[in-house]
Amino acid sequence: MGKPKFLGKSIWVFHLNTGSCNGCDIEVLDVLTPYHDAERFGVKLVVSPRHADAALLTGPITLESLPKVLRAIEAMPRPRIIIALGSCACGGNIWHSSYSVIGGVPELLKILKERGIEVDGVYYVPGCPVRPESIVYAVGLIKGLVPKKIKPKVKKVGR
Amino acid sequence: MSLKDMRRSRLGFLRALVIAGRSGRVTRRYPYEEPLVTSDFRGKIDIDETKCIGCGACVNACPPNALELINTRDGYISLRYFVGRCIFCWRCIDVCPTGAIKGTREFELATDDISDLYDIIVHEPNRCRECGKLFSTKRMGDYVVTKSPLVENYVDLDPDCRRNRFLKAIENRFGGRVG
Repeated sequence: MGKPKFLGKSIWVFHLNTGSCNGCDIEVLDVLTPYHDAERFGVKLVVSPRHADAALLTGPITLESLPKVLRAIEAMPRPRIIIALGSCACGGNIWHSSYSVIGGVPELLKILKERGIEVDGVYYVPGCPVRPESIVYAVGLIKGLVPKKIKPKVKKVGR
Repeated sequence: MSLKDMRRSRLGFLRALVIAGRSGRVTRRYPYEEPLVTSDFRGKIDIDETKCIGCGACVNACPPNALELINTRDGYISLRYFVGRCIFCWRCIDVCPTGAIKGTREFELATDDISDLYDIIVHEPNRCRECGKLFSTKRMGDYVVTKSPLVENYVDLDPDCRRNRFLKAIENRFGGRVG
């Protein structure tokens, strides 16, 4: 997946709590304080999905919030990305197999594909809750300021 | 606005500058400097594949099932660690019998590809010497033998064959078929 060009510029973010415990949401506020000032990268929270480049999803996406998430992502103008913030959004956390959640953004992407709603990129930021530095690092990664550090590891071992 | 008022407002701005100068810059330069990570911060775990025996103790202890044991179609058993679901409680480190799992202070885990978040260790399975069925892992058999050498004569039998052997032994003792 190539990196979309528009991500080098200021990203306007629409934050949507999809059943999160508020831990990640507080860290999002933390990032916007003068201490870890995310606005120095041009990141800004906007109140309408129609103004946003990125949907910032926290929480495991409950069934109750799923239609709202779909509507918000549909309303965003086209080059658009999703940022999955926290363990819940990345993989469902301890609710991954619960009856009332769909289990994070990987499941959401399947639903989006089914409905024909396209997104131009997905970024995952694990952490429970996410460290503010982790979010700032993710912003740097999205804008191409820092290299990606994590790599998949597959090891086959014998006796 | 008179000249005097303008002067006063200009002075007021200077006063704000003085206050700001006294408190200094608080913003961290984080992506370009070292992050503040304390010694008791818990980050991503690192599984040492040379020590892991595939026993599944960490799988039982993991609250969000970030660690899972998966049976592949060809009988191999793999331990899969999905960082995206991990809550960094480090319980797996406490329960690991061989000390294969180490905690790190790594938190820069953001990625644009979900396959980066998986760590997989594929274990070679043990083969039963009587029926040829695949069970458990070779490493776990070796580990059990080092802990209790008595089991060496039946460690490479799968649970069904062990049960049959036990029943046969009872039969022999009572001189014929039992039950």
